[in-house]
Amino acid sequence: MQTPLVLHAERLTKRYGRRTALVDCDLRIPRGHVVGLVGPNGAGKSTLLQLACGLIRPTSGTLSVLDSTPAAGAAHLARVGFVAQDTPVYASFSVADHLRMGAWLNPSWDSKLAKRRIAEVGLDPAQKAGRLSGGQRAQLAMAVAAAKRPELLIFDEPAAALDPLARRGFMHSLVEFVGELGASAVLSSHLLSDVEQVCDYLVVLCGSRIQIAGPVPDLLASHRRIARDPATMAGFEVIWAERGRALVRGDATVRAARDAEPVTLEELVLAYMSRATGTGAAPGASAAVTR
Amino acid sequence: MIRMSLRQFRIQALVGAILLVLAASYLIHLGGDIRAVRDTAQLQTQYGQTMLFLAAGFGLVPALIGAFWGAPLIARELETGTHRLAWNQSVTRRRWLAVKLAVLGLASMAVAGTLSALLSWAAGPADQVSGDRFSGLLFGARAVAPIGYAAFGFTFGAVAGLLARRTLPAMALVFLAVIAVQIAVPNLLRPHYLPAERVTVPMSVDTINQARTLGSITGGPVIGGIEIPDAWVTETSSLRTPDGRQLSDTAFNQCLDNAPRTGATGRFGDAAACLGKLDLHVDLAYQPNQRFWPFQWIELTLYLGLSALLAAVGMWRIQRRVS
Repeated sequence: MQTPLVLHAERLTKRYGRRTALVDCDLRIPRGHVVGLVGPNGAGKSTLLQLACGLIRPTSGTLSVLDSTPAAGAAHLARVGFVAQDTPVYASFSVADHLRMGAWLNPSWDSKLAKRRIAEVGLDPAQKAGRLSGGQRAQLAMAVAAAKRPELLIFDEPAAALDPLARRGFMHSLVEFVGELGASAVLSSHLLSDVEQVCDYLVVLCGSRIQIAGPVPDLLASHRRIARDPATMAGFEVIWAERGRALVRGDATVRAARDAEPVTLEELVLAYMSRATGTGAAPGASAAVTR
Repeated sequence: MIRMSLRQFRIQALVGAILLVLAASYLIHLGGDIRAVRDTAQLQTQYGQTMLFLAAGFGLVPALIGAFWGAPLIARELETGTHRLAWNQSVTRRRWLAVKLAVLGLASMAVAGTLSALLSWAAGPADQVSGDRFSGLLFGARAVAPIGYAAFGFTFGAVAGLLARRTLPAMALVFLAVIAVQIAVPNLLRPHYLPAERVTVPMSVDTINQARTLGSITGGPVIGGIEIPDAWVTETSSLRTPDGRQLSDTAFNQCLDNAPRTGATGRFGDAAACLGKLDLHVDLAYQPNQRFWPFQWIELTLYLGLSALLAAVGMWRIQRRVS
């Protein structure tokens, strides 16, 4: 396969001492997508993204990002923008200082883009970053990551600490940046609602393993909900079953079955998470896990 | 990256600069005062204490640089999580660290160099009279060696911060450790930079009375503070009898406690008179004063080498470090 890959993992494993954060992850994500990485807290999302931007190294297995080892050198660092969890900024630096820093440290820095974005989201350049609200800080961190015009933007739980309004603003900016830069993006969240809005590719990570990954339309097309006793469904791959209902994956025969109904993305994600943990909510039941 | 390092260093640099200006004006003032003394023989009595006090204070400079400039350099980034912002700009981590170490390291060396030059200048006339700038304390507050101490203090602070990942513990650790190193080196390493000269000094009554101490709290026939003109005495043997053996404790204590009364004057009085009759000697190891400059360069090289080694540890560590 010659399609250029944004992320390519093979048997990727990361352990912290005796604790395992990721096990045998295989991923091939093509370019041009906005990828949502979802899973409960502690599933290994942050680990995967920190591996992708080279902050940490795999215990075993390989991961290449844009066909290269993460953070392989200055040139590769320039191609990947990363907004870390809690969107760290220098508290004693002003907003303008951050843009200056970006210009000093990135040869590909787009000063116009940065200044325009800062103005558009209403940040005062003279304001100290330590005095910004969570939402403003996130916008600043994103502007710094995006203004170096990377080919891939990685966001680690960027909206986790934001209120709903700030979150909406952030997601809006994110989509605009990705569109303007023509970049790919990977965004992790434990909130499916964030991901649903903006992503066209989904990776479900649970229990340190990749449960499923694929373009959202393909995933929706290949899964069905069937109101039948799972025992009678030989030949289907049952993802999760409960009380006479099941969520199954299959080919045209499944989808052609008379009682097969389309699933929502939320049902699908919950089914895979429930299967991975062996407990939790069933598809179509309460959405507690994602709220 | 240089501009970034300078921008982050701004406040610490400002505080450092203010303290440097204060210290420099004091030293220039002191240098003027010392030069105003007509009778140079008076210099030692007038300024001897001040020189020791200044040297001790100057010994704190590398520890302060290590604690306030070195330790927070990386530890603060790790503590606040901003390393995740810094390390994802188009600058490799190693370059990021190398530039920071170079910029602040050079600033540390410049501060120490300036202070040392001013102190050496101010103390010049006093040093000439007393001839003791090769002694344990003053040596480290003159000429080029302090530049090495500052480089070491800073690099040690930075690397300790990288390893400890917490600013305050790293600062405390660095402050104490740098002082400990500065006590250990003059006592344990410096006497051996070049092979010491050795000399046997007969213990005449006069010589004994010129010593600083006789005996010690642990007992034993020891004498302390025998000096040799134009040299730094690094080692003094115990009192030895003509056949080269150590004087017995009994004989020594006999002289110390029950010396025949002779009405002898001098620092140790009858005890010195009694010991003087025993035809004793001590063996001294010393470094002649003309080795002051070779020793300065050796010590500078030693500390710069140590700093380079620490920087290498930092470079290795930062590449492997977890987030």
